[in-house]
Amino acid sequence: MYKKYFCLLSLFLIIISGCDKGIEPEPETKSGPTGFGGKITFLGNWPDSIKRTHIVVFKNQIQNSQDFFPPNLSFVVDSIPYKSAEFTYNSFEDNFYPIFQLTPGEYSYVVVAQSKTPELSLERKDWFVVGVYSQNGDQSKPTVLKLSAGEITGNVNIVVDFNNPPPQPPM
Amino acid sequence: MKNFFVLIFLISLSAAFAQTVSVKGKVIADNAQPIAGANIIVVETNQGDATDENGFFEIENLSAGTYTLEISCIGYEKRKVTYAVGSGMKKIFTIVLKETAFETEQIVVSASKYEQKLEDLTVSTTVIKSEFINRKNFLSFDDMLRYVPGVQMNLEQVSIRGSSGYSKGVGARVLVAINGIPLYSGDNGDVVWELIPLADIERVEVIKGPASSLYGSSAIGGVINIITKQTSKNSLTHFKSYIGAYDKPSYDIWKWDDSYRTFYGTELTHSNSFGSLGYTLAIKKFDNFGYRQNDYYKRYLGYVKLNYTLSPGSYLTIFSDYLYSNRGNFLYWKDSRNALVPKDEDNGNYVKSYRSFNGLIYHSTLSPKLSADLKATYYRTKFDGYGVELTTSTANLYRAEILTNYTASEKFILTTGAELSYAKVSSNIFSNTNFFGTGLYSQFDYKGIDRLTASFGFRYDYFKLDTIGGKNAFTPRAGLNYKLDDNFILRASVGTGFRAPTPAEVFTTAGVGGGIDVKENPNLTSETSISFELGMLFNYTNNFSVDAAFYRTDYDNFIEPNLTKEGDIQFVNLSQARIQGFEAVVDWSPLPNELQLIVGYNYMWARDIEKNKAMKYRPRNVVYSQLKYSPGHFDFGIDFRYMSKVEEIDFALTEAPLVLVKDGAKRVPVYVTDFTAGYNLLISGVPAKIYLNAKNIFNYYYVEFIGNIAPIRNISISTEIYF
Repeated sequence: MYKKYFCLLSLFLIIISGCDKGIEPEPETKSGPTGFGGKITFLGNWPDSIKRTHIVVFKNQIQNSQDFFPPNLSFVVDSIPYKSAEFTYNSFEDNFYPIFQLTPGEYSYVVVAQSKTPELSLERKDWFVVGVYSQNGDQSKPTVLKLSAGEITGNVNIVVDFNNPPPQPPM
Repeated sequence: MKNFFVLIFLISLSAAFAQTVSVKGKVIADNAQPIAGANIIVVETNQGDATDENGFFEIENLSAGTYTLEISCIGYEKRKVTYAVGSGMKKIFTIVLKETAFETEQIVVSASKYEQKLEDLTVSTTVIKSEFINRKNFLSFDDMLRYVPGVQMNLEQVSIRGSSGYSKGVGARVLVAINGIPLYSGDNGDVVWELIPLADIERVEVIKGPASSLYGSSAIGGVINIITKQTSKNSLTHFKSYIGAYDKPSYDIWKWDDSYRTFYGTELTHSNSFGSLGYTLAIKKFDNFGYRQNDYYKRYLGYVKLNYTLSPGSYLTIFSDYLYSNRGNFLYWKDSRNALVPKDEDNGNYVKSYRSFNGLIYHSTLSPKLSADLKATYYRTKFDGYGVELTTSTANLYRAEILTNYTASEKFILTTGAELSYAKVSSNIFSNTNFFGTGLYSQFDYKGIDRLTASFGFRYDYFKLDTIGGKNAFTPRAGLNYKLDDNFILRASVGTGFRAPTPAEVFTTAGVGGGIDVKENPNLTSETSISFELGMLFNYTNNFSVDAAFYRTDYDNFIEPNLTKEGDIQFVNLSQARIQGFEAVVDWSPLPNELQLIVGYNYMWARDIEKNKAMKYRPRNVVYSQLKYSPGHFDFGIDFRYMSKVEEIDFALTEAPLVLVKDGAKRVPVYVTDFTAGYNLLISGVPAKIYLNAKNIFNYYYVEFIGNIAPIRNISISTEIYF
């Protein structure tokens, strides 16, 4: 009788352990860098005392000051020279933080932001958003950036109008 | 005529004696040591005997025939043997008793710094005996802990009831001690499991709850106290050897080597006594070529223990334990398609380490009521990590403790002690620091009320880490044990704990790969806790028991590694954390000494109060089960572990933007099943064992830490013999 229990329990263990192999390898993906590129156009006069102007990518829109920090802060493009009229970029070549990697997926908030701090700060209060990636021209409605594995998504263009700044995310 | 009657009488008497037999034998443990006080009963008669101090017994005046002897002794599995004895013969044979693996009652434990019955304790405690370690062929001590209900291992880091997540062993919250002497290193406060001599373990006591009131810092989550064996009174040599191999992974893209990866080891232990002097010597060599690339190790262990009996009430024990290790440094997988291969930048990195743990214990019985112990240790650790840069650390830790036990009466026991420790660290990653700590403790146990044991203790600690100002800690504790009847025991305890940050947590400055640096945090402060437990032990019969407990611990300033706004990793104080849960262990032997089932379940909810989310690397549900079937000389066992998928991990390392560990967020519930088969035999009258161990028999792939696949299916054969 007890041998029957022993066999039943063994069978139970086999079933629950054998039905799933656990961790599996990810399917093979297209090789090559994942990123995006485009052009930033500046309209109007640059504010004084600006030390840094970066294209910054966020996974989700900013709800509070913590969202200005990784992992929601996903990527930072090299600083744009002061008083530029246009700036053409490619995230793969112009990666400010080499340790930051863009992964395939959707990014809800891509902006151009300026700071007056000489060193790059990750504090929300140190930044002012001057341009938002939006395809219909309404910068209050950000466009989601979709990245595919092994592809550089082009035409991620942003217009910065210093005379008509976009709505600011919460501090 | 008179002589004739005398002759007839003598012939009759001789004939009568010729019809009786005696059974003479020796009872030994499975390590060949004689068992004194074992009871031998001839079944269905009122005859029997008990073994003397050398394990011998003799039952006389039996008629010729077939008899069943039942042999029993506390701490050993009861056995029945059947023998046919002929007229006039004397049968002399050896009976081997196996130690019981897990004990929940009638066992003496010394985790409270004096010996008391397990059933009198006020906190949840599990005792593991050496038989369990031998049967499962654990390659190192931490492997064994994966099978203890309430204990969780995240790689090499131990956690009791969720006390620790994972921080590469830094800042342990479970105090591991050998004979009550802490075994943490002076620099990062970790435990080197391989340093523990498995062959010399008598039992392991696991206290599941804060024990800072007796043991101070590091015992905030519990204590694992390893009790070593007494030196043998007779010459005793133990030889053990094992060889095994890992299976190949199921996925072709994971195969990085065409051959089977092997592991093997040899261990020789000898113990003897000459008059008042006893000794134990052990050497061990164990190699593992690893199932993952660059995950090999080669280790050598040397162990010496001398025991000198100065007088009937006093003895001196001196021990020295040395470990050399050379191992590959596998940090994280390359990605899930290369799960058994390290990242390119880590491949080829290795670590050489040298550990030397030395100490003495002097025990003196000053009077029938008063005894004292002096324990002094010197622990030297040194490692050199070879990678892009050389990382090195040498730590010298000195520690001394004096302990007294005063038994005023059977109702009142007072334990007091004082402790000093000093560590000096020389390192290019922990900086050159020193640490000083001192503690005073006292515990009263009162048994003056019928069926009730009350315990109250407190400890004061002062510690100073290098130039940082000194800190104080006061940790009281109280507990109750009430026996409703002989089979139903209730226990309750409330206690406080603290843990001082280790030099590694405060001063580490090093790169961990991928451009991530660990930065020092001189502002790190001690974490404190308050916890309570309500538990019960119910023995329905001798063969069925249930042990259950509710527990809760609230931590303040809980120390965990975190990603800073500067993109570095730093140990920081979380504001508040809470861990609460329920644990139950059922032990059922439907066929006593032949078939045993142990099932343990732990539900745990560990959360960061401020962020109201789960704490990292703490599964909510854990199930352990052990099924053991021992017909005759055979042993069969199935062990199963389940852990629910952990909710929180170090996502900052696995997700964009850092992606330090590609696919590192992959994790699954854990289902691991092991199978053991063994055979106990006698070779020329000495016991020997052969075991087959198949671990993770279904080759289930899981991680205990991000980017680290746990051991895949492996099979080993071990043999051991005592002579």
